[in-house]
Amino acid sequence: MTKNKHFPGKNWAEIGAVTTRILTELWRRKRNLIFWAIFPALVLILNSVILAERAQLTTDRAFALAAPGTLVGAALFFSCTGGTLSTIVAEREQQTLKRLFLSPMSGLSYFIGIFLAHFTIGVGQALFIYAIAFFMKAEIAGSLLLGWLIIFLSMIAYVGVGFILGANLAKRTEDVNSLVATFGVPLLILGGVFIPSSVFPKNLLSLAKFNPVYHINQALTAVWADNKTMAEISDHLWFLVIFAVLMVIGAWLSYQQMLYTERRL
Amino acid sequence: MLKIDNLSKIYGQQRVLENLTLHIAPGEIYGLLGPNGAGKTTTINIICHLLKADHGKITIAGQPISAQTKYLIGIAPQENLFYKSLSCRENLLFFARLYGFSQRQCQQQAQLCLEAVNLLPQADRDVETLSGGMKRRLNTAIALVHQPKLLILDEPTTGLDIETRYEMWELIKQLQGRGMTILLTTHLLDEAEKLCDRIGILKQGSIIAEGSLSELQQVIPAQEIITLKTMEPERAIAIGEKFGLVHRYYGGDLAFWSRETLELPEIMNIFQGIKIEAIARQNVRLEHIYLELTNS
Repeated sequence: MTKNKHFPGKNWAEIGAVTTRILTELWRRKRNLIFWAIFPALVLILNSVILAERAQLTTDRAFALAAPGTLVGAALFFSCTGGTLSTIVAEREQQTLKRLFLSPMSGLSYFIGIFLAHFTIGVGQALFIYAIAFFMKAEIAGSLLLGWLIIFLSMIAYVGVGFILGANLAKRTEDVNSLVATFGVPLLILGGVFIPSSVFPKNLLSLAKFNPVYHINQALTAVWADNKTMAEISDHLWFLVIFAVLMVIGAWLSYQQMLYTERRL
Repeated sequence: MLKIDNLSKIYGQQRVLENLTLHIAPGEIYGLLGPNGAGKTTTINIICHLLKADHGKITIAGQPISAQTKYLIGIAPQENLFYKSLSCRENLLFFARLYGFSQRQCQQQAQLCLEAVNLLPQADRDVETLSGGMKRRLNTAIALVHQPKLLILDEPTTGLDIETRYEMWELIKQLQGRGMTILLTTHLLDEAEKLCDRIGILKQGSIIAEGSLSELQQVIPAQEIITLKTMEPERAIAIGEKFGLVHRYYGGDLAFWSRETLELPEIMNIFQGIKIEAIARQNVRLEHIYLELTNS
């Protein structure tokens, strides 16, 4: 039974296979999933407590303000970027990339499969973080759909970044931590995830405007904490859309580079 | 099944393959032998559409090599390439899905392949917990999961113990019995002798000899090889030359080509006067042919 390369649903079958495989591997190593839940939960609680005390806010308001940044910073950045980076590095170390290149699987399917796997994790994290926030009586003030659009775009961008870093810079497991820390932590701080950007000095705030995490954080906080509309967050949204597209292009080019260097036995 | 005609590949200044030609008939086990750097892996990379040849033509089942022919080829590489944190069955299901099988077909194919390689009892064990031989069998099962027409085995028993090696040989023979065409690369000459219908010896990118073992034996104009252990090799060689016995060294042991079958008393008679520690007679084997061709 040999299949034609253009059989209907070829790409969907490949995407499904990659997504299922990554999620199965993650489920086997439950430790990572548990830590990806504990870390943002702790960040949410700490940020909310600090905000409530220092900004003289009610608990529910503090949680409502802290939750978006926690989600896009502490949760999605590490699970999507770090997770994608780890996936690529593990494939390279196990040499399973070579197996994949021997198969008829397309690069597009590979990228979308990885994205969907980490999208699934991200949705789980979003539900978990907001479950804690709701428990503390926080509310989502604005459009659910717009908020999910921001989360979706941020995940695309994060997975793209992870792909670029994994394909170009990370050769071994030991590289993952240092890369995520080097690229991630400054971006998250400057993005207002751990310290509100309202307390940034002017020059740092100017710098933050080039930071995609800043725009993701500002956009989601504006929509879900402050009930802003799409028109009111359009600057942040456009930045995010352009950044996501650039990261997808970068990921595609990185995949081609990886094909060139790794595609032989 | 596989036709390679005048294949050439150059890396920079180095000509890795030079007008390589070989044909493998359906249902045949073809052994591709050659020293390191002869071009075996490059040939496999080109067959699998991982590399492009500079010149030449390859067809599989009449189709030129393309992304489409990936469906026709199964390859068990020298390294075991699979996902260590998944079970045997999960690995097979994943790869089957990449080749376009439905969920039900994936389950069926996984079951069949696990049976074929005798891994059914270990189907749901994590790959990390398997022995070396089991991992190698899983590696082969993954190559079979999409029902390829041509199976490429790259050094299938390297690093395995003798019992596991025999199990793999048995498996390879069974696969041939089911009609599989197999291209086998190996450094183990006894493996090639045991398994292969035809053997091709690759040197510096070209096939320098090809045929069945009996055809290749014509390379050495001898009926048998006499190995002599003596403290006086120079005298033995001189005497051998007088009797028309060509001498060679195999693995440090002095040996002579004999055009006729000689009994032990006849050999002792030829070399009388020389202190002999041991004598052995054996048929012309692939080892002798291979060394003769690759050292010339």
